[in-house]
Amino acid sequence: MTDIVIKTVEELKDAPEEYREAVSKLVISHAINELYGAQVFDEPAIAYAPTPYAKWLTCRVAMEEYGHHVRFKQLGVQMGLPEERMIPGAGKKPLSIFEFPLKNWEEFVAIKLLADLAEILQVEDLLHCTFHPLRNLARATMPEERFHAQFGEDFSAELVKTPDGKARLQAAVNEYWPYLPKFFGGSKSKNNEIFRKWKIKQRTNDEMREDFVKRATEVSAKYGLTLPELREAA
Amino acid sequence: MYWERTTPVARSPDMSPAMTVVVLPSVLLKALRTEVGAASWFAALGEPLTDGDRTDAATYADVLDVVPIDSWPEAEAFLKSSLSLSWWEREEEVRRALLARAQDRYPERALWTSLTELTTETGDLVHGKAATSAARAGNAAAASIHVAAGAAAQAVYQLAVARLAGETASLFESKFRLFAAGRWPLGVVDSKLILF
Repeated sequence: MTDIVIKTVEELKDAPEEYREAVSKLVISHAINELYGAQVFDEPAIAYAPTPYAKWLTCRVAMEEYGHHVRFKQLGVQMGLPEERMIPGAGKKPLSIFEFPLKNWEEFVAIKLLADLAEILQVEDLLHCTFHPLRNLARATMPEERFHAQFGEDFSAELVKTPDGKARLQAAVNEYWPYLPKFFGGSKSKNNEIFRKWKIKQRTNDEMREDFVKRATEVSAKYGLTLPELREAA
Repeated sequence: MYWERTTPVARSPDMSPAMTVVVLPSVLLKALRTEVGAASWFAALGEPLTDGDRTDAATYADVLDVVPIDSWPEAEAFLKSSLSLSWWEREEEVRRALLARAQDRYPERALWTSLTELTTETGDLVHGKAATSAARAGNAAAASIHVAAGAAAQAVYQLAVARLAGETASLFESKFRLFAAGRWPLGVVDSKLILF
């Protein structure tokens, strides 16, 4: 482990190159994935929401996800990263889950219930980050991520009140669940090793994945849902 | 850098095509930002309707009557139970048409970035205003604050799209005026606007 604390973006300029690159990779990854999520899932979901209440709540969720992209991008710009590297299509491959366009309301509820839980774990791991501007951004983002996951729980509770609603939600869970553990990266990730070396992140990808599967199983069970067995861990 | 030479769009009469400039969306949205900052978001919820409210309501939704809603729980119950969404679809149709016009006028990236930054900024502001109003009322569900913020931020986004399309008399102008006057239009049922 290497002890270093970077309190400001200005101080980052004097940090070791490996540290700067690691932080840049994380900021770029968050900026891109927040934007993909908002574009592929949150914004299209507004049309599927069944009532004005659900539509405006979904509007707010979409705006917050776009807002996360804006904040990570602003941090990246302060760090000297070109804006082009923090938007989709600039070379970084999106997560596979983003390749499946949203088809109905139940899929969106399943994504909020489970994918936003994965997002919470990712942000949690940054709450003690040694690069304080990123740590502070994670702290600002966390309440909104928790609200999005709660959104998933609240609408899951609504859907499972009827057998038909529960069946549709379970079908959505079955479709998306296999892609979610891959959010956490490979077991032998070199990037993760470097993140942990500099205490930018705290846990291994496998530790986070294991925690995610445990928490996802628990939250699904609350609503009588089951998670299909995973064929591969990563 | 607020100006860029690009596709000829906003051209003054004495300019040759080679000297054409385009005002970036962020510059055009500056006035709207000021209006958003000055609006009385959610300050008049539950108050008696004024003639001004009724006039804006009639212009916005083309309705014969306005039905006032008096409390947050009543508003929440209406929004959760209303399956009449034709007014929503109508607004979406207008928004899509205006967005297409705006996309013809501005570079895609500049347009998209301006709208995203505006709604992010607005979302934070109106969320705080909704929370203050809900706290004063004392009987609002926490999620309803998010719903209110979503509605208000959407109204600003819709108006921004309209103005960027060059449309100055859209229904989104009167919708915004209702929000700016502290109201929250909740939807249209049977030629009646439900107004909180």
